[in-house]
Amino acid sequence: MNSDTVEVIRTLDAEDRVVGVFSEIVREPEFWGALADRPKVGSWRDPDVEAIAALKPDLVIAYTRNPGPILERKMAPFGIQVLRLDLYKVAALEREVLVLGRLLERDKEAARFCAWHHQRLGAIQERIAQTDRRPSVYMESYTDYHAVGPSSGGHEMCVLAGGRNIAAVLAIPYPRVTAEWVVSQNPEVIVKPAVYGNGYSLKDAAPFNKRREALLGRPVWGHIAAVTSGNVHVLDSSIWTGPRAIIGIAYLARWFHSKLFSDLDPEALHKEYLETFQGVAYHGVFVSDYPGGAGR
Amino acid sequence: MLEVTHLHFDYGGVRVLEDIGAGVDKGLVLSVVGPNGAGKTTLLKCIVRILQPTAGSVRIDDRETRRMSRRELARHLGYVPQNTPARFSATVFETVLSGRRPYIAWRPSRTDLERTAGVIEEMNLADLAMRDMDRLSGGQAQKVLLARALAQDAHYLLLDEPTSSLDLRHQLEMLEIIAALVKDKRMGAVMAMHDLNLAARFSDVILMLHQGRTFRWGTPLEVITPENIREVYGVEAAVRRENGYLHIQPLRCADPPASGKSPGPPQPNPGGSRS
Amino acid sequence: MSATAETLYRRYKARAGVKTLVLVLAVFLLAVGMVVGLCVGASGMGLGQVLASLLKDTGRDHGIVWLIRLPRIIMAALVGFGLGLAGSVFQAVLRNPLASPFTLGVGSAAGFGAVSVILFMGGGFQTYRVAAGAFLLTLLSAALILAVARMKSASSETMILTGIAQMFLFSSLTSLFQYMGTMEQVHEVVFWFFGSLSKAGWPEIGLTAIMILVPFPFLLSRAWDFNLLASGDDSALALGVNVKRLRMTSVVAASLVTAGGICFTGVIGFVGLVAPHITRMVIGNDHQFLLPVSGLVGALLVVVADTLGRSIWAPQVIPIGIVTSFVGVPFFFYLLMKRSKEYW
Repeated sequence: MNSDTVEVIRTLDAEDRVVGVFSEIVREPEFWGALADRPKVGSWRDPDVEAIAALKPDLVIAYTRNPGPILERKMAPFGIQVLRLDLYKVAALEREVLVLGRLLERDKEAARFCAWHHQRLGAIQERIAQTDRRPSVYMESYTDYHAVGPSSGGHEMCVLAGGRNIAAVLAIPYPRVTAEWVVSQNPEVIVKPAVYGNGYSLKDAAPFNKRREALLGRPVWGHIAAVTSGNVHVLDSSIWTGPRAIIGIAYLARWFHSKLFSDLDPEALHKEYLETFQGVAYHGVFVSDYPGGAGR
Repeated sequence: MLEVTHLHFDYGGVRVLEDIGAGVDKGLVLSVVGPNGAGKTTLLKCIVRILQPTAGSVRIDDRETRRMSRRELARHLGYVPQNTPARFSATVFETVLSGRRPYIAWRPSRTDLERTAGVIEEMNLADLAMRDMDRLSGGQAQKVLLARALAQDAHYLLLDEPTSSLDLRHQLEMLEIIAALVKDKRMGAVMAMHDLNLAARFSDVILMLHQGRTFRWGTPLEVITPENIREVYGVEAAVRRENGYLHIQPLRCADPPASGKSPGPPQPNPGGSRS
Repeated sequence: MSATAETLYRRYKARAGVKTLVLVLAVFLLAVGMVVGLCVGASGMGLGQVLASLLKDTGRDHGIVWLIRLPRIIMAALVGFGLGLAGSVFQAVLRNPLASPFTLGVGSAAGFGAVSVILFMGGGFQTYRVAAGAFLLTLLSAALILAVARMKSASSETMILTGIAQMFLFSSLTSLFQYMGTMEQVHEVVFWFFGSLSKAGWPEIGLTAIMILVPFPFLLSRAWDFNLLASGDDSALALGVNVKRLRMTSVVAASLVTAGGICFTGVIGFVGLVAPHITRMVIGNDHQFLLPVSGLVGALLVVVADTLGRSIWAPQVIPIGIVTSFVGVPFFFYLLMKRSKEYW
């Protein structure tokens, strides 16, 4: 029912088992290839029950919270099982991939991915442990002036990349804040994901740069450390929470600890992932330019 | 003189008023009588241009009202509707002051305020002046609406059933005030009345409407007869002269006419006034 | 004038004087509210620091005061003024104490305009496009109301019914678009409907000021006619008011004011309904005073609500639309209890 799930299934080399996909898949035809032509079954929020039933699947996979238990109730009369996976919390990703792998009889592929993921993530964590420094970071969510709070995927990524989220003390997942607050917190790095940047099809970083300019232009933000040093970044939603969060984390790690990770190449990592696990060629642009910084 | 000639009014494809002719001079009172639905209120509203007549003319001192702006018309005709409670209440003073609207440009001038105060005093409403309208009795409120019409400095008053929601005393009081105003200030008054006794007593001329057409026109003595009452109201009544006034006493409901068609032709329209 | 008449004249003038005083008081209270609001902020600057930074270019603090706090407070006051003013006009023209600037579907139309832009023209960070969308749709909805009024009748009942129909139409369309949107876009839309003062910069303030303050003199000049409308369309007509034209032009002007107020901030509810009532309780129904004072009360309400929204859960901000609703609900109940006979 959502892109994260389809991506993982492709990693597990089980595309042929997919009989129906989320409707929004048509927005990124380049990335999904033939999968985008499969029958559509509605969105992650609002599944098209009739379409699903017509396809007679054995299993429907959806996020844990959306849609609600109504989905199980609707699927029960048809004898269709519903599996709830989040796949966008890094902590749970490997476990869930293994579960899915077992269900789809792709244990080998699942194990292969988890090993790779575990190793790469572990390497980053090890190096972060070498230092006590945790730069302050302002992470904004898709909506302007809404930070990412403690229970969100973005916050998790920040911590894993060795940063300190200035919104960690706020209570809700997407708290609204004022420009004044960000200015007074004076973060060293600012990160914002772009909605449907469609990075895979881009030729240059223009859309991300535009959003970056908008961030830089906010009132009094010229006084923020991150802005003066240029450490402000916009990244594509595909590498922000989801199975590819590891790529996002790699970028974050570079931005937070440029010296520590000077040899880390997130692009190469991304290429590796796409070619090995997704079976597609690597191209596209996924982050805004970083003028004056240590490359991407 | 206020004159209505060949007035027609259609609404929703129905002819509500047909070929009405009437007139009143300054210093006289004209009452329009007839059962409910005869068109009394409609006629008044047509004269004041709340409703647009389909045909015919209304003239004030030989000037077509159609050619006047609303503002100007409001300086000649003072309309006194039946009292309905307003959603947002105002004080008595403010209500009477709003009668000066035909003269107010941006905000009320000193003259407007003085005139309002004067009218309130004349109508003996001074004690109530700063009270909210919704705290007044029916009789008091009706007086305020009359005062508002006076504040317009109009020469003709049009009153829509000025006594319908009033008690006995206030009914008389109201009509006595109107009669006095008409005589003392040389105003003309047109009243829609449903009470025949009061109409007979306080009017100089009566226009009896029947199903939207002029039925009879003349002095109360001429118009208010048992035959006419039977025909228009469907009621058998006795009409007597007592204490100098006409006294109408309803006896019982009349039997419906045999053929269903009203006997006797309606009177042709009067062209001139009664002077 | 006779003695009695003279007394009446004096008494009326005295009351008018009191109402003028109330107006002055309202201005004063608003000023106080704005100053207090100016001293509340996440950076912790108090009155002293604010005053110091106001004139001297002390870098960051100066920027915070001039580019963040001051615009926000001024925008809050402006929008509140517009909503209070528009609310009192709509209540007069529709002759209904439950009317608000959103009764005729203005809020739903504006929301639909904003949603359309968010979905099809690149998203919520394009502030001007979203504002333009909201504004244009508001004008469209006002035009619809006028068209029906021309064809059918310009009575208040007709307008209200048209407005309700519009409200449902645009709400449904908004929901449809939301349904078609991505999660992020849905979030954007929902947050737009909460209302937000963070997009207030000086250029936006300039535009909003024009849209609210230009129709204001026109509406004020009609104050007496609004007074007359209260006694009924018939009385007003008989006293020389062109009721149909008054209603249509006032609806256009008040819709413009409303649209101008919300196109940069999103829907801020209840203020337009509540401000005129508060004002009426103090100074009665004379629209010469009711119009401007409702505006001032509205401004004060929004400024206070914004300050509260920034303080209660600091440094998080409770969206302004939510705070004003909370203020509105108990007031509504109070109105219901106190004056039950008049509205039903």
